[in-house]
Order: sequence, then structure tokens, then C-alpha cells
Amino acid sequence: MGKGKRSSTIVISSSDDDEVKDKTSVRLSKSAPPRKNPKRAKKLTVSSSYSSPFQNSSAIDFDEWRQSAVATGAVGSLTGQWEHEVAVKFLHDDIVNQICEEFDQGFPQFKVTSDSSGNKDMWVEKYTPSCLGDVAVHKKKVEEVKSWFEEKLKSNADNSFSNVILISGQAGVGKSATIYAVACHLGMEVYEWRTPTPTIWQEHVHNSNSGIQYMSKLDEFESFVERIRKYGLVSASLTRVSPASVVLLIDDLPMVNGKVSYGRLQRCLYLLLQSVRLPTAILINDYGRSESAEQHSRYWEELQSSLQNAGAYKVTFNPITANSIKRALTRICRLERLKVNDEYIDFIAKSSEGDIRSAITSLQYFSLKPHPLDTLSVLNSVSTYPEEKQTETNRLDDRVLLPFGKDATLSLFHALGKFLHNKRETGSTVPSDTDVILLKEKFSRCPIKMDDPELVLCQAHGQARLVTDFLHENVLDFVNEEAIEDAWVVGAYLSDTDLLLTPSSKTWEAENVLQSAAASVAVRGVLFGNTSPLSSRWHAIRRPVLWQIDQSLKHNKNQILSRRLDDTTSASLYSHSTLATEFNPALKWLGHRVAADHQAPDEVSFDEDDCDGMSVDDEVDDDEIEEW
Amino acid sequence: MTPVLPSSQQWVEKYRPKQVKDVAHQEEVVRVLTNTLETTNCPHMLFYGPPGTGKTTTALAIAHQLYGPGLYKSRVLELNASDDRGINVVRTKIKNFAAVAVGTAHQGGYPCPPYKIIILDEADSMTEDAQASVLVLRNALRRTMETYSKVTRFFFICNYISRIIEPLASRCAKFRFKPLTEEIMTSRILYICNEEGLNLDSEALSTLSSISQGDLRRAITYLQGAARLFGSSITSKDLISVSGVIPDDVVQALFIACRSGDFDMADKEVKNVIAEGYPASQMLNHLYDVVVESDDIPDDQKARICKKFGEADKCLADGADEYLQLLDVASNITRALDNMPQEFPFGS
Amino acid sequence: MLWVDKYRPKTLDKVLVHEDIAQNLKKLVTEQDCPHLLFYGPSGSGKKTLIMALLRQIFGPGADKVKVENKAWRVDAGSRAIDVELTTVSSTHHVELNPSDAGFQDRYVVQEIIKEMAKNRPIDVKGRKGFKVLVLNEVDKLSREAQHSLRRTMEKYSASCRLILCCNSSSKVSEAIRSRCLNMRINAPTEGEIMKVLEFIGKKESLQLPPGFADRIAHQSNRSLRRAILLFETCRVQQYPFTSNQAIPPMDWEEYVSEIASSIFKEQSPKRLFEVRGKLYELLVNCIPPEIILKRLLYELLKKLDSELKHEISHWAAYYEHRLRLGQKAIFHLEAFVAKFMSIYKGFLIETFG
Repeated sequence: MGKGKRSSTIVISSSDDDEVKDKTSVRLSKSAPPRKNPKRAKKLTVSSSYSSPFQNSSAIDFDEWRQSAVATGAVGSLTGQWEHEVAVKFLHDDIVNQICEEFDQGFPQFKVTSDSSGNKDMWVEKYTPSCLGDVAVHKKKVEEVKSWFEEKLKSNADNSFSNVILISGQAGVGKSATIYAVACHLGMEVYEWRTPTPTIWQEHVHNSNSGIQYMSKLDEFESFVERIRKYGLVSASLTRVSPASVVLLIDDLPMVNGKVSYGRLQRCLYLLLQSVRLPTAILINDYGRSESAEQHSRYWEELQSSLQNAGAYKVTFNPITANSIKRALTRICRLERLKVNDEYIDFIAKSSEGDIRSAITSLQYFSLKPHPLDTLSVLNSVSTYPEEKQTETNRLDDRVLLPFGKDATLSLFHALGKFLHNKRETGSTVPSDTDVILLKEKFSRCPIKMDDPELVLCQAHGQARLVTDFLHENVLDFVNEEAIEDAWVVGAYLSDTDLLLTPSSKTWEAENVLQSAAASVAVRGVLFGNTSPLSSRWHAIRRPVLWQIDQSLKHNKNQILSRRLDDTTSASLYSHSTLATEFNPALKWLGHRVAADHQAPDEVSFDEDDCDGMSVDDEVDDDEIEEW
Repeated sequence: MTPVLPSSQQWVEKYRPKQVKDVAHQEEVVRVLTNTLETTNCPHMLFYGPPGTGKTTTALAIAHQLYGPGLYKSRVLELNASDDRGINVVRTKIKNFAAVAVGTAHQGGYPCPPYKIIILDEADSMTEDAQASVLVLRNALRRTMETYSKVTRFFFICNYISRIIEPLASRCAKFRFKPLTEEIMTSRILYICNEEGLNLDSEALSTLSSISQGDLRRAITYLQGAARLFGSSITSKDLISVSGVIPDDVVQALFIACRSGDFDMADKEVKNVIAEGYPASQMLNHLYDVVVESDDIPDDQKARICKKFGEADKCLADGADEYLQLLDVASNITRALDNMPQEFPFGS
Repeated sequence: MLWVDKYRPKTLDKVLVHEDIAQNLKKLVTEQDCPHLLFYGPSGSGKKTLIMALLRQIFGPGADKVKVENKAWRVDAGSRAIDVELTTVSSTHHVELNPSDAGFQDRYVVQEIIKEMAKNRPIDVKGRKGFKVLVLNEVDKLSREAQHSLRRTMEKYSASCRLILCCNSSSKVSEAIRSRCLNMRINAPTEGEIMKVLEFIGKKESLQLPPGFADRIAHQSNRSLRRAILLFETCRVQQYPFTSNQAIPPMDWEEYVSEIASSIFKEQSPKRLFEVRGKLYELLVNCIPPEIILKRLLYELLKKLDSELKHEISHWAAYYEHRLRLGQKAIFHLEAFVAKFMSIYKGFLIETFG
């Protein structure tokens, strides 16, 4: 998502600066995002050409067809004569459009490729709300942001308060859309800082050979902030408008891994906060409180609170309600003259989990399908979301399923099912005679009936910690009752994985590699260790109980520690382990103060905790996975 | 601040030699440095050697002899590199310190050469931070050195020269400090005992030098501790209890239990060691000495045992449980001495 | 009030175990000053008791008037401010806290508190500035950075405050700190000493102790005086008058571990392993530290094994305990240990009984 941003922005990439250094200039030609014309009107003309009546009735199919061809990358493999003609026609159309566009824009666009045009009519961009009323975000929040900006406009730059507004919320809740709409409403222009496409490693190797230093996104951001501090916004384009009516937008903060770079980012933002004169919006993505990103979200929380302490104004956006999304989707359907079943829209809206961007993309993708109505018939029979998900798992094929996949759980479950069922070829254990390495019998296995596990993982967007926790929770169900040895081998690999996944201050650079290595070890360990998987049973894939345990543990620990406060008789501080292992059991025996005011931790058992907090994912529990 | 009461002053400070020539047992170093002092021509210096051999003392003594008490504060900067406040702080401190111009005022007959001295103690422990930031620091130091070399002299002090990167080491005159011999230690200890009015018998003296392993600072610390706890008459037992060194009979008891080949006996001894509060890592050191020095253990068994020592030591450094590690070691010794197979016979 | 607190000796003269150490400590502080101290020894050996008695020796009864409170500090760390909240026990003369409760912010806590204490020093009767004592528990759990900063602050503020450090394992305290403190090793009291204390308490509570009763409690306490007294009081509540064969109730979690052990002995299968996992979760969720579970489990397993298996299983216990320290999720490693044991034990059974 977020592949194409709104084109009505002026992109201040750190590389299009006046004092372009040699290191950035090389990359400029390669990867600086194409400049787009700031005038919104132009874009509208382009897009309206697609939905013009002349194309609509007959050409819409072609249009769709072409787009789907583009999407699947099949343009080059066309064979039929008729198809060829059509392709030519559309390529031609493309070029014409392109030329017009270039003419409009007044500067040359080099790429006349299908993906650049495909990019332009991403509905997400096309239907970016242009006025406040269209924004699907809750009115109150929009109002809050708007009044903040109005305040900033009134009281000029010399205001002692900070000029930074902090907007947080999960992806696709309309953070930047709100900024754009508000800016548009107030007649301000938005300047967005965007990082150049990250340098890939090979490029870096190449560059370093030619004496150019590698700059991470964080580096770029640092130098950007540095420049802001020193010169303010000095961009040629800025001279036209008065600085008072400019909004600086920082979306897409650099991702940081590890303490050191995190500290840098924080320092950087802090500097920005103190020095920036323009009203500035910093958008922060909440990644949810997923267990796998615990460390990470702690960083972000701390970051946000420190920015707030320094005077930034914070607004939190909640996920967009399904109804709002439905309204937006219906509107798009109306504009696109697309006939889509209400239930279908309902389904998309609900499965997007409040991410409007993903919902729109799903809608568009879906409309490209050759026979959308056929697929819909499957859905007609079901009404509420959780059940839908279950039935779909088995009935819908991946291609239909994936675009809804804001929630990666489904595809993840496919992958987990594959790993756990561990289907193998029968027959000879040695795949080919050319394999010269001879293994002892206990180490050799039949070839697995699936793609490379890494590939499967990657397709399922499996995060290492998540996958490991799931495997750990479920793998014992699939191990043969006799094979305790196998259970140990699997357990040993999972134990290895845990070590790999433990963040260490010394290896923060290698964290990404470690993540994939860990996932690999976990998955392959499970595949290798389980020599004779149970095959003929149906198994529910459970959600890891471990997560509940961790939370209850934290809770109980705090409770034990806080009980020290009430305890005025003992004049000393015991560690929680002493309290838990010695005092609590004794107190229980003594019946001493275990009354109402002091609940023994045992009673906060995890059975109870199991019940609450699980509801969100309950549907997952009964999710039967068939063997494939 | 109120002056520290005499009783709480550390003897290590109190008896630190004030003159380079008084530094014990480092003749070559002293000779070269005395020369340096006379000409006041001083290169960057790198002192390395085991702890407690007089490196810091020497550095401080040079600085004192060059500037005297009057100018010392303004001309000498002492920094602990292991100071956790970060590379940047160290850097800023050095910069700020070095940036102030030096006067040419001479005071009280001290040479007062026209440069400043920065003493970086524990330079090798800089590596304790993440590798990345160390690299930055190294570069920072290197750059700092070149910029300020006209007006600044660096004294690096470290235990392991191998941990100092080459570009830095090559810019310094290197001095190795030898471990102190028992005689030197004894004479120094006796001198302090004399000053403080302590009574040490010869057994206690030799115990002291053996438990402090050539580290004079440690020896003095033990001595002071014992003096505080036990008064003026100190026995060898007192010293051992102050130092936390494990008494020989405890080590022997464990080793004998291992030799007996009985797991439960070994387990009991291990439990005892832990209950007595002896640090497991120290126990490993002692056991290592016992195993290596015993004549009746064949080399292959020694190798097998020592391998385990290494592993256990690493685990302990990682914070593993002392009882479990020690039990594992004891079980390994037992098995090795019994020539029990290394591979487990059952199961896979 | 629990007996553990009720019969805690208040002065150095009254301690029943470690009398020699108590006398030495007394000598140490007669000069109205003391060096930094490091107490180390196993849990329940009496470190806290000695420290509290020592504080009283230095400051008089004023040291007994303590208040327990949650204190919040706002620490300025460069560009940001960090809020840290910790439970402290303090009197006018001392402050006690567990800096490791602050997790990865421990070093700020150490620095800040010592600084604050140095600022408001008490003034003694002669108008001299006195010193305050800071008691830090669990210093062996402090991060390396925190230990570094502790060492620095020790030097910087040595005129205004004295540190008393307390930990289980001195080898996890950095050499730099150890060499700046007077090290006091507090060994666990012997069973005989524990019996003595129990009999003393029995007399004070005017209880009749049947012969061998104190002996059995002492034996079951694993040389932890605290645990012995807790057990003793538990027995008293359960049944009095005592009978000589009265059962001494084990700690509930220990009983639970022993159940786990016997269920492991009964069946070795993935299904059983899964059940064991659930039980381990139960223990973990009740805050029993994983390493303690593992040690107890080993203890239970060792009871019923042949010596050959004992060697093997103690090796694996050490192996997996090390890993659970390094890793994040203890259950993975605990479970791998159980699985390994099952696998070994099953192999052994097949080998021996066919």
C-alpha cells in the first residue's frame, strides 16, 4: 500500500536540494521520485478521460482487461491477433495520454511504461478526498487538526509553542489525507518530505567502489533536518508562496532498528521540533500492539511521549469505522459506474480492519477480476465477518483471497498448515543420485511437497516471532505419539530460534538477517524434526497461549511488587522471586491476609485471562485447517 | 565537601607513589620516563600490563611531576573511557579541555611544559559498548589526536594492548608493565604495615601475595579490609575471608567428591559450595588449577575436563545459574576421571 | 506480623547466626564511619537482617522508623526526560531500593538517586555533615552500564553517602565495584544454626517442640533461614500441638513441580509433553522464575534416576538453563528440556526393559 502518493504535492526529497552533494546526485537520476505537477486540476482531467462516457459502455471491459493484464505482467505474452490489436490500441492510448500529460506538465517524463500509467489511476490516489467533507476520518478529529492549523495560521511563526502536530494511528486511517484536505481547505500548500528509494545493497557496493558513501534513510533524514534547521525551507518552488501558508508533512519516518539508530532518530526529531518554523505534521504509524513488535512499539511510544513533552500536539486517529469505509466505497463505485453487490462492499469494509487505503485497493483489484459476480455468489450465503473467514479459507483460491489480506492471518494459516502437516513424497528418500553427500539414515528425509519453506513464508508475510509462536503452540499435535525424540528435535530447534530472535544490543545491524534466519530455523526445524507427521487428522490451529501467559505474568508481577507497598510490617524489600516462591505460598497456608483485599496470585489464574482478551482472535481458534 | 575522614581514605590512594622513580618494579619504564621528565619532551604514551602493576600511578606521577599541584587541575584531564556517558561526552570533554590555550606560566620550580595531558584510563574497555559506536570513538580519538597533538599529550592506559587498534597504538610510545614479583609485593606490603601499625605473620604475608596474584592494588585493598574488620593483628584466615577467595579445603572437598565417582556426593558438595556463597567462577579457576597440576590425570582426561571449564565459564559470564553450571562441571569431571563415554549410551 | 519479621534481630548483638560477622561489623562502624560494603551470599542467608542491624548500629533507633513508598524520579537524559518509578524503603538516614526493578533504565536510577541523596545530607549533633546510606538490592542483576555508573558515583559522592550493596552472586558484580567495597560473604546458615533459631522462636512463642521436629524443618529448608521460619509458622497454623511425625507442608509450587516430575516419569509422549507445557505455564504465570522451576524439576527428576542418567540430565539442565537466560521466552527452553528428558528416559527404559 502507499505505492503511489498523491500527486498534488511538491516532493521535497532530500536529494533535490541546492547544495546537492556528489553522493546524492548519483542517486538522483536513478531513484528520485518523479516530480509531479502541483496542480490538482490536471490530474482530474487525466482521470476523467478514463471514465468518460465514450469509453465507458464498451471499453470498460477492455480497460479492466488491460489493467489486469498489466497487473499480472502479461502484456508481453499476448498471442492472439485480436488481443494484439487491442493491446496496440491501448498502448497507443497510453502514449497519447502520456504525451498530453507531458505537454501539460511542461517537463519530460521518460518512462512510457505500463506501470507508470497503472500507477496513476490507482483509485487510492484518484479518490483522495479533496475537501474536508470527503475525509472518512471522524469529524471531531478532523476538526481538531483543522483548528490546530488555524491557530498556527493566526499566531505567526514567533509563537513560543511548538509548531509540530503529531498524528498517530494505524496505517490507512487517513492521516495524510486529513492533512491534505485540511491544507486544501485553508489554502495552504503541503510539502512532503520523502526519502529517496532506499539504496539496495548491490548499489551500495557499486557506489562504495566509486567512493560514494552509503546513506541510509536515517542519514537522509538527519541531513534533511539539519538543513531545515540551518536554512529553513529553501526550495526554488517555495518562492512563489508565502511561507506562512505552507505545511511541512513528514510521513514515513525512517524505520529504525536497535537502540543506536533509535536514539539518532529521536534526537533528530527533537531538533526538528525545536527549530522548525513552519507548521509541521509528523505522522506516526501504530503497528498495533502485536507481540512480535513489543520492543519496537515501546520505542515508538517513548518517542511519542518525548515529543509531546517537548511541546508537540498529539492527535490519535482511530481505525475508520466500517460504515465510513462502506460509504467511501459506495461513492467510488458510483463514480466508477461499477456495479458491486452490497454484501461485497460490506465484506471489504469489514475485512479492511479500518484501513481505508487497503479497502479501496481491494475494491479496485476486485473490479479487475474477470467475473466478479461469480465469486460474490460464494459470499452471498454468509453474513458476518468471522464466519466468512472460515468458509473462505477452504473455498476461495488464493488470488481472490489475497487482496483482502490486510489481515495476513489467512495466508499465514495456509503456510502454517503446510509446515505442520509436513507432506512429503513417498518412495525413495534420496531425491537424486547426483546428490553426493551421503546422510545417515536418521538424517535423511523425503522431499517435501511444497515450495521452499522460505518462499512460502515470504508469501504469507510470516513474521519470525509470530510464526515461531504459532509453530510452538501447535506442533506437538502433529508429532506422532511414539516419537518423543522428534518432539525434542523440534523443541531444540525452536529453542535455537528463540535465541536468534532475542534482540541483542551488539547485533542490531544484523537484525533483519537474524529475523529471516530465525524464521528459517523454526520452519525447517519443524519440517525436519517431525519424521512421521500425523496426517489423517483434522487439527485446529490454535492461537499461541503464550501471549496470554506473558501478559498475565506481567500483570501478576506488578501486583506482587505493588503489594510490597501495603505491607508495612516488613521493613525490607524483597525481590519478586522471593515473594513469589516463599512468601506467597506461606501466606496462603497461614490464611494470612489472603482475604478480600489481597488476592493471591493463584486466583488470578490464566484460565480467567484466557477468556477475556481472546475474543478478538477467537475466530482463529476454530479455524479448521484441512490437509492440503 | 567535607574532607574524608582519615579512616575511610583508601590506602590505595594514600600509598600511591607520588614520584615516577618510586614506582615499584618497573625499572625500564622508570628509566625512560625519568629521562622524559628531564627533557620535558613527552610523546603520546600507551601503558599496558596486568592490573595493579602501577600504570595509573605512573601516569599520575608524571603529570604531577610536570605541573605540580598548582597547574595540575588545569593541565591534566583524567578520563575513564568506560564512563558510560557516551562517546560524545568523552569527545566533547576532550575537545573543550584541549581547546583552552595553555599559558607559559611556570610555577614553583616544576617544568610545566607548554602542553596538556589527557589520561585515558581503561582505554581497552571502550570495546564494551556496541562495536559500532566503538568504531566511531576510535575514529574520533584518532582525529582528535591529530588535531590537538601540538598542544596535547595522550596517555592511554589499558590491560590488553591487543584491544587497542593499530592506528592508535602506532602513534604512541608503548610501555609494558610487568606483573610484580612476590618480593616486591612483600616489601611494599610490609612498608604499609609498618606505617599503619599492623601485625602480619609470614604465613599471612605469603597468603596475601598469592591471593592477590601480582596485583598490588588488590593486595592493599585486602589488607585494608582485613585491618578494618579484624584490627591490627591479621592472620592468613582473615585475609582469605576478606578477599572472598575460596579456601583450599573447600576446593579439595569438591574435587575429592568428583573423584569418588558418585554423582550424589558431587551434587552434595556443589550444593554446599553454593550455600556457602562462594562464586562459581572462582571455583572454576581453583578447580582448573587443581586439575591441571595433578600428576595422576592423563592428558586426554585433562583436555576433556578443561573443555568443560571453558564452556561453563562462558555460560556463567552469560549469567547462567551457578549451581547448575557447577553441577555440570562436577559431573563432567567425574565422568572424565571414570572414563565414562562422552556420548550418552541410550536414546538416539 | 510474620515471624520472619517479628523475630528478626534488631541489633548486631542479638543475631543468632553469623555472630562473628556481626561483631566485625560492629567494630567496623565504631569509628562513626564505614566503607562501602558488599554483602553477598545465597537467598535466605541473612544478608538483609545484618544490613538492617548494621544501620541501627550506625544511626540508632532512628533507622527503624521507615516508610515504604513509591517514588517517582524524572531523569534528564540528554534530549529527553525519563520517568522512573520505584518502590523505596527509607528512613531519615537511609534509602533502600531495588534498582533492577527499573529494567533497562536502571542506570539512571542509580545516578539520580545518589545525586539527590548527596544534596540533602543530614547534619549530626556536632554540626558536622553526616552521611546517608543507600542500600541497593540485587546489584548482580544490574546492567553493565548501571554498574559502571554506580562505580563512578561511588567515587564522586563518597564523602556524602555510603553504599551497602546486596546480591546473591558476587561474580556478577564487576571487579571495579567489588574492589571498592569491603566484601562480606554471608554463607547460608547450617542446619544446626537454623535449628537453634527455630528453638529460640519456639521458646518465645512458648511452643512445645517434639524432638527431631526442628531438625526436619531445618532439613527441608535447604539452608534458608527465612524459609525455615516460614515453614515453622505454617506448621504452627496447621496443627498444634506439634507431633513428631507431623507433615511439613511443602511450598505449593514445589508440590506442583513434583507432580510434573511424576507425570513425566509415567509417560513420555508428545501429548504428555503438551500437558506438561500447560503446567509450566501455570507456574510461570504465578511468577515463579523459570530457572527456579528448572532447578526444582531437576531436583525432583534426580531423585529417581540411575547415576548414568543423572550425569546426562544434569548436563541438559545446565544447557537449557543457560539458554533460557539468553533467550526471551523461557517456555521454549523449559519445554525442550522436558522433551529431552523424556526422550532420554524412554530410550533408557527401552534399553533396560526391552
